[in-house]
Amino acid sequence: MKALTANRLADGEVVFWNAAVWVERFGEAELFADEAVAEGAEARAKAQVTMLVEPYLIDVEPVAGGFAPVSYRERLRALGPTNKLDHGKQALGGAEMDILNQAHGAARSTGRVNLIKRATAASG
Amino acid sequence: MYRYDEIDREMLADRAAEFRAQCARRLAGEITEDQFKPIRLMNGLYLQLHAYMLRIAIPYGTLDAAKLRKLAHIARTYDRGYGHFTTRTNLQLHWIKLRDAPDILDELAQVGLHTIQTSGNCIRNITADPHAGATADEVDDPRVWAEAIRQWSTFHPEFSFLPRKFKIAVTAAAKDRAAVKVYDIGLRLHRTEEGELSFEVLVGGGLGRTPYLGPTIREHLPVRHLLSYLQAILRVFNRHGRRDNIWKARIKVLVAALGAEEFARQVEAEWEASDKAGVDLPDTELARIRAAFAPRAFASLPAVSSIFEAARSEDRAFARFARNNVKPHKIPGYALVDISLKEPGETPGDCSADQMDLIADLAQRYSQDEVRNTYEQNLLLPHVKLDDVPALWRALAGAGLATPNIGLVSDIIACPGLDYCALANARAIPIAQDIARRFADPELAERVGELKIKISGCINACGHHHVGNIGILGVDKKGEEFYQLTLGGSGDDDASIGQSLGPALPAGRVGEAVDQLVEVYLREREGPERFLDTFRRTGLTPFKEAVYADAHQVA
Repeated sequence: MKALTANRLADGEVVFWNAAVWVERFGEAELFADEAVAEGAEARAKAQVTMLVEPYLIDVEPVAGGFAPVSYRERLRALGPTNKLDHGKQALGGAEMDILNQAHGAARSTGRVNLIKRATAASG
Repeated sequence: MYRYDEIDREMLADRAAEFRAQCARRLAGEITEDQFKPIRLMNGLYLQLHAYMLRIAIPYGTLDAAKLRKLAHIARTYDRGYGHFTTRTNLQLHWIKLRDAPDILDELAQVGLHTIQTSGNCIRNITADPHAGATADEVDDPRVWAEAIRQWSTFHPEFSFLPRKFKIAVTAAAKDRAAVKVYDIGLRLHRTEEGELSFEVLVGGGLGRTPYLGPTIREHLPVRHLLSYLQAILRVFNRHGRRDNIWKARIKVLVAALGAEEFARQVEAEWEASDKAGVDLPDTELARIRAAFAPRAFASLPAVSSIFEAARSEDRAFARFARNNVKPHKIPGYALVDISLKEPGETPGDCSADQMDLIADLAQRYSQDEVRNTYEQNLLLPHVKLDDVPALWRALAGAGLATPNIGLVSDIIACPGLDYCALANARAIPIAQDIARRFADPELAERVGELKIKISGCINACGHHHVGNIGILGVDKKGEEFYQLTLGGSGDDDASIGQSLGPALPAGRVGEAVDQLVEVYLREREGPERFLDTFRRTGLTPFKEAVYADAHQVA
């Protein structure tokens, strides 16, 4: 299962794709069972250069109560920082945040590995 | 404090206007992200996990009230009401919107602040001893030289595309409070036997994937030749530094590959062949910069303050603050006062906008309008009358800023880690919070004494873990957050790189392991030994045995 995510260009907000509309909550993200469909959406997202920065696909799996990103990094993006629980999307509350918080295990975000390599080249 | 002149102000205004136009083109889709990214990075604007992050340079860690109030205003208006002071004496704002960034640069420029050269393969913000101008153990004010380097290196055309980023630190004191041994160039100002001011030049220190302590390539450099000598070092680096592999591109790798002696020989040859006079600072310009750092007008006061002494004997909490956060000043009757940004349970280095405003007020009232930030992620007021320290302490305590833990086990350095940073593999902040809470009892923290814990969320080592007495490095191990511990590092005069304790520990075991390490230290220590001294005497074995006693706990 995949979801499509990016940061919004104008404000950096983490967003998720749902039927060609960008939503802010992971709980509203479209989940792709078909990899080809997911890649098609990713290709369309990459063309939206005035809207987004670095769209990429993430792995999602069923967890108790719903779905959550496989990778801990992506769950953090969907929630917010763990040192300030009133910042980020987690401040919105709701069952979706409980589901994300209860998801276990962490994995390096498959979609981010290449982005990280690129970021490392330019950062510091 | 150094004031920007008309040229500086025009430069900042031009730069902000240019960035405004570039942002507009990006938002309109006239340029792509790939085209825009290097431009925003050159203006200190990174994209992190949740939002953009803006890195603001604080040259040699010196602020006045106007600058600090402006940072508070920006944090409140454009961010979430706080900022994060870093180990590079920068301030990072973690919730910035691209569309606001041009306005923020304008606001910064109004007070002579900017984000120039806080990213990219150029000479970054120059750092210096935070006790500059206030400590008795310095031979000169290192900020004079740091400012000269800042001016010379800003927009330097030859050094704007180095093999990798480049960091310079300056100290003029016997005690190293600027970590000069782990910098690309560390400069130690001293006096020769003839009484001349001279630099010891260290090159090729650094942390990251391959940590090195910088070797000295020249014991005595006459101060008038500072800039031409820096030029020679950078030319050798620019010529021979590797550009094929990002992990091997820092100058430390070149110095290690050539050997310090051969590297020094090449620098000397380059230097001798160069037009020194064309680069070195003219005496008139040096005098102009020096005037900006002229010694303050200090009152003539008795060395002992009856107000300070009375408060110390009457109030145990104040006495504890005085022991840990108040340092001797070069002028009798004055002190340096450390403001800890490490209240146990809080995020190391974070400071709210309200706290910044308060500190700005207190700096004006009690510290000749000066504030410093330290690479250990704290602030300090450099020129406080001993008579005023009790009142200052009460004001700080009311805002959660009087934690008496400078240099103690709960005064932990931590990078933002995976909670914010796009490069991190693991979180650093919650580990710091957990450890600090374990030592939140100030009596316990004092009993443990000096113990520097430094935490990085990835191998880039922004949290200086290699030079922590206890260093903690977050790693991604089969998709889980794990932490490698090192012992015996130091970033001070007795600098050393820590040794690995053993296999990485899961997140839930790190705080307990620190407890166990401290228990071993308290058991083994002799006399006035610090943790570091005991470790150096006993070696790893007793510590390792304590942490890995239960083999099943080892991952």
